[in-house]
Amino acid sequence: MTMQPLVQMTSVSKSFGGIAALENVDFQLLPGSVHALTGENGAGKSTLMKILAGVVQPDGGMIRKNGQIVCFASPREALDAGVSTVFQEHSLLPNLSIAENMFLGKEPVTKFGVTDRVRMEREVKQVLYGLGLKLDPATLVGNLSIAERQFVEIARGISARADVVILDEPTAALNAADVEVLNTQIQSLKKQQKAVVYISHRMEEIFKVCDTITVLKDGRNVDTVPVSSIRPKQLIGMMVGRELSELFPPRPDQTRGEVVLSIDGLRLTAEATPCSIVLRRGEIVALAGLEGQGQRELVRSLVGEYVPHGGKVAVRGREFAFPLSEERGIREMQALGLGFVPEDRKLEGLFLDLSLAHNLTIGLHSRHFELKPAAAHREVIANSMKSLSIKAARPSLPVNALSGGNQQKVLLGRYLALGADILIIEEPTRGVDVGAKAEIYKLLRDYANAGGSVVVLSRETLELIGLCDRLYVIHDKHVVAEMPAKSATEHAILEAALHG
Amino acid sequence: MSQLSRMFLGANSRDGLWTVPLIVALACCAGLAFSTAEFASSQNILNLIAQAAPLILVSIGQMIVILVRGLDLSVGSVVSLTTGILSLNVPVYVSVPAVMLAAVAIGLLNGISVTTFRVHPIIATLSMMGIVQGVTMFVRPSAGGTVPPEILALVSGRLFGIYMPVIWVIVAILVAWKVVHGSRFGLHLFAIGGGETAGTFGIAEQRNVLAAYVLSSCFAAVAGIFLAGRIVSGDPNIGTQYAVDSITAVALGGTQLAGGIGSLHGTVIGCALLAIIANGMNLLNVSAFIQTIVKGLILLAVISLQPRKTIGL
Repeated sequence: MTMQPLVQMTSVSKSFGGIAALENVDFQLLPGSVHALTGENGAGKSTLMKILAGVVQPDGGMIRKNGQIVCFASPREALDAGVSTVFQEHSLLPNLSIAENMFLGKEPVTKFGVTDRVRMEREVKQVLYGLGLKLDPATLVGNLSIAERQFVEIARGISARADVVILDEPTAALNAADVEVLNTQIQSLKKQQKAVVYISHRMEEIFKVCDTITVLKDGRNVDTVPVSSIRPKQLIGMMVGRELSELFPPRPDQTRGEVVLSIDGLRLTAEATPCSIVLRRGEIVALAGLEGQGQRELVRSLVGEYVPHGGKVAVRGREFAFPLSEERGIREMQALGLGFVPEDRKLEGLFLDLSLAHNLTIGLHSRHFELKPAAAHREVIANSMKSLSIKAARPSLPVNALSGGNQQKVLLGRYLALGADILIIEEPTRGVDVGAKAEIYKLLRDYANAGGSVVVLSRETLELIGLCDRLYVIHDKHVVAEMPAKSATEHAILEAALHG
Repeated sequence: MSQLSRMFLGANSRDGLWTVPLIVALACCAGLAFSTAEFASSQNILNLIAQAAPLILVSIGQMIVILVRGLDLSVGSVVSLTTGILSLNVPVYVSVPAVMLAAVAIGLLNGISVTTFRVHPIIATLSMMGIVQGVTMFVRPSAGGTVPPEILALVSGRLFGIYMPVIWVIVAILVAWKVVHGSRFGLHLFAIGGGETAGTFGIAEQRNVLAAYVLSSCFAAVAGIFLAGRIVSGDPNIGTQYAVDSITAVALGGTQLAGGIGSLHGTVIGCALLAIIANGMNLLNVSAFIQTIVKGLILLAVISLQPRKTIGL
């Protein structure tokens, strides 16, 4: 028997400012199913769901709900037609109570026209109880924790008497026990013959909860398949358009050049064992190990952001004693051609409100005398955007409007524009989608092949193995092992870290 | 913080910090009752209420606008314009509807500037203040004229043994309570002031903000009717002080100028406190110039000391 789909979206298109976000995308939801919508960041998942939820109006295409052609001009209309959405961004209002937030826009009133608090709180209490939440419905949302807010958001979505529920990254703020509760709820929605759209980056959740997967890439359909017919690795392949192993660029076999950076006898604390590290020209070296073993302190000693106990560092023959003095630190290191890309690009790296162009060239500007008129550096900007393939409508866009991957490229581009030949990078691909990851790996490898040297620090061991030439394993504030990345395995690194 | 102190500071409600001004108001009352013979007299208390009544009316409107992150500087000139129109020697059944129509039009224009043209509320209503003040000067260039006896009767004497100003205050509070705390519209005002996302809940933001500005002008016009009855004439400058005074009273009552947090009872307490301070300074023979300085200082102090956005992580 063929079921009539609850929702049928046919060749939906949408573009923002000339850039196509969706092109002829088809999407179909069957009753009693949990449908995963996956794809890289910027693949168009959110836009597609915003169209279904009435937040965004499509440029073209058709939506049928229960066979009828519909057109949602607002979230309210979509909700009235039975499409309820739990968005990723927190949309609850902090100065309203849980009950008021859940009923906002459709509050019941008493016969005197006064909002019926008692009824709202009673009904909300039942909904929360069903979710296993012991929250007082009269509590203001502003007084809840992030996880509690997320749950209220979910409760609001699934209690809306809708037959289509869209969950956008519902588990981002939840712990394992909460995720279990959510799963139970999803199953019960499924039993009621409702349809759930599940957007998530977590593979194990998708494979556990969902029945069907639709993959989008660059605003187009890739495929729609039943979960049972596919394996996680293949799914990643579909999302990226290539297999995981293709993520990393090939390693050249040539012998390395001269030493450009050497750390000698660095002691992070008074008790720590001294450690030494060398970086050669054209080489990518990783600092691996368990989290919080001193990798971060080690690289930050180099730029004067951490005060170690003793030791010295030589940058292309020029020696400095640790700790670096106040007036030295990052400015002097930058003058020597060393660039430091911090882990938290939003807090430490970028000027979020400034334009992409400004962020790229700010290093160049800081070299000049303060009263000298600033050059526009148009060529530098154009070249950087091209060579780093930064995707943005125009260079004057504020950098916080870019995706994580593009932001990271801008940050890298700043130091490349300065002509830095040693890069120290913390977490090069944090919060960056798979496609941009591959691009960043390639960028770094090209940079090394052109004679640059890189020190990378990352929590993702696989990334270090795939990307680097040589690994130092750090444990308890000193180097416990050194190994070529080619033959390194996750297991060997862990072993070295634990038994070193 | 203990639960009790959180409750006291209003951290668990969106009413804002109204407990402290209440205590200060009571303390002022007690202090004045001891230090001056006249303060506690029934004549003075009646005066006090009559003084506070127009401020309460204007401040209620001001609070409604502030709740949606707005500000209305044109309320004072609306008050002046109202007394001007009422002193024009036309029958009440012409002048009162004219006054209310003018108020609705002014509120609509304010609201449209703020919502459709995205003018900052201060600029939008500051311009409107100038425009309305100019119109008022045409209607009544200098203080004078007479107000019809019907309006006089509305504000003086008693009804069922209760003084008329008291009745005005009670009716205003009841109406405002229904609007702000007892209706969906009121809840939506709080929602709009609470965050950018109110629209995603299906709340018509623009329409509600527009309505808030119209209400503000209307409350100011009603305050003008009351004042016209009190002074029995028109005065183009009588409203001047109300823009600043109403903002001070609203802020004093714990309503946050950032929107979304505040309460009617807080605003009434704020108005009462301001009226008590003014009345006390009169009784203590403080110069009118110093009174203006004190009011300015209070506004500055309240805004600086107000705990910002007490709700939230």
